[in-house]
Amino acid sequence: MSDETDSLSRGIDKQYLASPIKNPVDKYQLIPEFLKVRGLVKQHLDSFNYFVKTEINKIVRANNEIRSTRDPSIYLRYRDVRIGEPSMIYDGVTEKLSPQKCRLSSLTYAAPIYVTVDYTSTMRGKKQESTEKDVVIGRMPIMLRSCSCVLYGKDEEQLAKLGECPLDPGGYFVVNGTEKAMGMESDQEVVQMLGRDPRFSALLLPSIEECANLKVYTQHQALEFLESDKMLNVFSYFSGPVEKGARALSILRDILLANVPVHQHNFRKKCIYVAVMMRRMMEAILNKDTMDDKDYVGNKRLELSGQILSLLFEDLFKTMNAESKREFDASPSARYILYCIKKYNRITSELGRTLSTGNWDVKRFGMHKKGVTDVVARLSYIGTLGNMTKIKPQFEKSRKVSGPRALQPSQFGMLCPCDTPEGEACGLVKNLALMTHVTTDEDERPIISLCYYLGVEDLELLSAEELHVPSSYLIVLNGLMLGKHKSLQRFANAMRKLRRAGKIGEFVSIFVNKKQRCVYIASDGGRVCRPLVIADKGVSRIKELHMKELRDGVCDFNSFLKDGLIEYLDVNEENSLIALYEKEATPETTHIEIEPFTILGVCASLIPYPHHNQSPRNTYQCAMGSGQNATVAVMSYSGYDIEDAIVMNKSSLDRGFGRCIVMKKYTAICQKYDSCTSDRIIKPQRQGYEADRMQILDDDEIAAPGEIIRRHDIYINKESPIVTRWIPGTSPTVLPDTAYKPSRQTYQGTEGELAVVDRVALHSDENNNLSIKFMIRDTRRPEIGDKFSSRHGQKGVCGTIVQ
Amino acid sequence: MDGVSYQRFPRIKIREVKHDYMKFELRDTDSSIANALRRIMIAEVPTIAIDLVEIEVNSSVLNDEFISHRLGLIPLTSERAMSMRFSRDCDACDGDGQCEYCSVEFYLRVKCLSDQTLDVTSKDLLSSDHTVVPVDYSDGLDNATNKGIIIVKLRRGQELRLRAIARKGIGKDHAKWSPAATVTFMYEPEIYINEDMMESLTLEEKQELVDSSPTKVFAIDPENKQVIVVDPEAYTYDDEVLKKAEAMGKPGLVEIHAKEDSFIFTVETTGAVKASQLVLNAIEVLKQKLDAVRLSDDTVEADDQFGELGAHMRGG
Repeated sequence: MSDETDSLSRGIDKQYLASPIKNPVDKYQLIPEFLKVRGLVKQHLDSFNYFVKTEINKIVRANNEIRSTRDPSIYLRYRDVRIGEPSMIYDGVTEKLSPQKCRLSSLTYAAPIYVTVDYTSTMRGKKQESTEKDVVIGRMPIMLRSCSCVLYGKDEEQLAKLGECPLDPGGYFVVNGTEKAMGMESDQEVVQMLGRDPRFSALLLPSIEECANLKVYTQHQALEFLESDKMLNVFSYFSGPVEKGARALSILRDILLANVPVHQHNFRKKCIYVAVMMRRMMEAILNKDTMDDKDYVGNKRLELSGQILSLLFEDLFKTMNAESKREFDASPSARYILYCIKKYNRITSELGRTLSTGNWDVKRFGMHKKGVTDVVARLSYIGTLGNMTKIKPQFEKSRKVSGPRALQPSQFGMLCPCDTPEGEACGLVKNLALMTHVTTDEDERPIISLCYYLGVEDLELLSAEELHVPSSYLIVLNGLMLGKHKSLQRFANAMRKLRRAGKIGEFVSIFVNKKQRCVYIASDGGRVCRPLVIADKGVSRIKELHMKELRDGVCDFNSFLKDGLIEYLDVNEENSLIALYEKEATPETTHIEIEPFTILGVCASLIPYPHHNQSPRNTYQCAMGSGQNATVAVMSYSGYDIEDAIVMNKSSLDRGFGRCIVMKKYTAICQKYDSCTSDRIIKPQRQGYEADRMQILDDDEIAAPGEIIRRHDIYINKESPIVTRWIPGTSPTVLPDTAYKPSRQTYQGTEGELAVVDRVALHSDENNNLSIKFMIRDTRRPEIGDKFSSRHGQKGVCGTIVQ
Repeated sequence: MDGVSYQRFPRIKIREVKHDYMKFELRDTDSSIANALRRIMIAEVPTIAIDLVEIEVNSSVLNDEFISHRLGLIPLTSERAMSMRFSRDCDACDGDGQCEYCSVEFYLRVKCLSDQTLDVTSKDLLSSDHTVVPVDYSDGLDNATNKGIIIVKLRRGQELRLRAIARKGIGKDHAKWSPAATVTFMYEPEIYINEDMMESLTLEEKQELVDSSPTKVFAIDPENKQVIVVDPEAYTYDDEVLKKAEAMGKPGLVEIHAKEDSFIFTVETTGAVKASQLVLNAIEVLKQKLDAVRLSDDTVEADDQFGELGAHMRGG
């Protein structure tokens, strides 16, 4: 602004006006704002929140009724489902849980799943409908910092009170006391017709010939042919109508291309779909250029914890209902079934088991995955964040192929080009870039009606001939063909305007594919997208005044989004013209990058001057999420520095360089046995030959916090009864001392290390046994053989420590 | 071995002395002596530092080892150190290191009772010996801002109570006993300017030569436009001027030699001992070390072997 007035006061200075803008708007500030609003694990939270708020309701609604086959008037219906507050029932009392409590006492941070159940009850022979609210069907592990978590929306002080680090990003689960993060799974999904091209008919000829040979001429004959053993024995479990031909028809209706709805036996849409598919196939045969690239990031979908959990939950919920139905057929009392549901604990146990082992087995959907969950790496803060943005592929790692491992140009800005492991999983395991967002499902219905308002002609109204006229474009929404539109650019612009105005979701993508004469609209979940500055004829919409407002805290990242200065583009739509810097923008430019370094992921962003490094060095560095920073002088020293070894100065180690504290948890359980006996903890011997090893025991028989613990020291002086089996006929009595054998636990640390008992916690475990946790702290000083690294993938071991 | 004496008479000229800083010239000796002196100042002049901590209560955020380590690194005034005993060879206390001859006791008892964060500093350490106290870094002018070395910060309700034993030690064993912050020496450079060759240079060339040195060693005399040496000690042996002279096609224009028997020392201490005292103590330690290798009187026969050197080592 001031520049403008200056130039006015100086009169018209042509040279000044012609010169390029000296200070393009510094958009750097947007990144901290973006991270403030979104955090780095928002994709996990969004996904889980979507599951808890929307998806779970859909699942329950879709399977909401159990009706007795014997008496169809008796039923049980789920009406409402919600996730409560994380809690556990302990001795019949509900106790609220906090994540820290779960970590310390090896519990699962889970919340009850409440449903409201309507059921038929019989009162004095009369059937009537009863309702029971808040029936617990199981416990759902809760993602930390999600909307169901107690940490949600808490400020720093409240978090501290709950024993939580304010900087912890959340986005993981606590199962049996261990932190489990669910990685992102990448999924390939290539969602992508016939004309009177003579080349096409040649390709179709063999199929038509085959039909003639098999004597299939009518629709009915075709259906019968499909039902013959040869074709449909795969669907033997299928339990649909049994009339001739109807079975094949219902398969065609419900299973084949299930994404295309069939209204009142109108198969037209499906027919067109199949036709378009065949045309694409034939085009691919004729012209290799039209093949879809399966490594193209736009054709991939990321599966996040919410989606994975919802599949598992759906399976468990259906299993529960199926089992309840079996019970129903045996005893026609809905009240009894309700009782069974309340008692049913497979949902809880399976959810917990699956999360803790990472083995995903959903038989209904034929899913067998391993390593879906990971223990959260807590070596360093950055390491933890890096762990949360990891993407794993679904297929086997052993595939010796280079295609999927190669760096894809479409990864730009979405996936980090540096951060990938070395070796086996190289290039397959990836990491999200700084500003990437993974979408969640969005309701299609408003978008469909909007498209029709904007002049999309319904497919039903079009003739087969019109399908391929070159003057109109096919509109496809999430793989579903909506219809055709005459004016491609007008339609796309209108849709985009609506998105920028916030009338449709910000993550809806509108992608124009001129080659295929299609407009793809996507609102499905799992797409990766990133924010970009919108440019009008190459002029950035973000001006200095906007940035000033941002710096002054008047507005935040979301208001930029709302004001239509910034929008999210997914990989497909990213094929617009994006300028890296404002100064490079031309009139054709539609978008401008926010900051170039956002192409990197969390770990790679920590490398100073990564663009000056040899590229593999950045990759090596990403594998090392290191901690302390130090200023160092480099020197060579008599052979102790060869092969990347490091010479260290003893004085600096004396002064505390590279010191680290390792915490380890040891558990002792006072087991209760069938024989009504239990382990006991006895007073330490103060005299005698073992007194030495029992020094650290307090008078309460447990090692005291602050005591230095050495190798072979006893940290709990426990005894177990010799006979633990229950002998029939005996009554529980106090056992004499001779009936116990010592089962003390000794510390097995390394000799010469200074370990200290940091904390001792007593609590009862899930079997109501007394469990004692010892946190043992060990301060370590760098020694020969310890690994150190710079921030440029230059790691080495300490070769010698110089006095 | 015909009676040549290698004895030299080193001289020290003090240029600047402050409490914890000293600059002096050491002349007429070898670099071996200069380096020995430097190394002794860093690693072998004894001081007193906290070596044993008994923690009674610690509810601060830092753990016991952490606080103990920080306590150890606090410099204590150590004028007494030279006359103290190492606790390992103390007769008075069987080497358990808790007697007045070899140790000093400290107490620290702090509890935060206010809502404000309380800084526990070296000033909270109470010494049993008024001569051995934490080094006071306040310059006496504004005590409000200078509160000593922070050990830990406490919030309301947190408490730290401990007893600490300080002992005599040397920097070789642990850096906390090192009285030196930095000790450096440099060879005094001798710079010759070949006046005749210099005459052949234009003023611009002279200026270029002057500017080629990264540090301000040369200047041009404003009166007679001659290149003069303003500060030979600013020279960092970087050879830049020599390279420049060669590039100008005038090798030998400037010649620089290191005087191998003159050293300029810069000594900075942690405040445990005064800088001047540190140098004296270092010389004392060096003498003691030499005494240890000095041949005993009954090996006078060694004179045959060592000649003049043997007599020298016996103090002759």
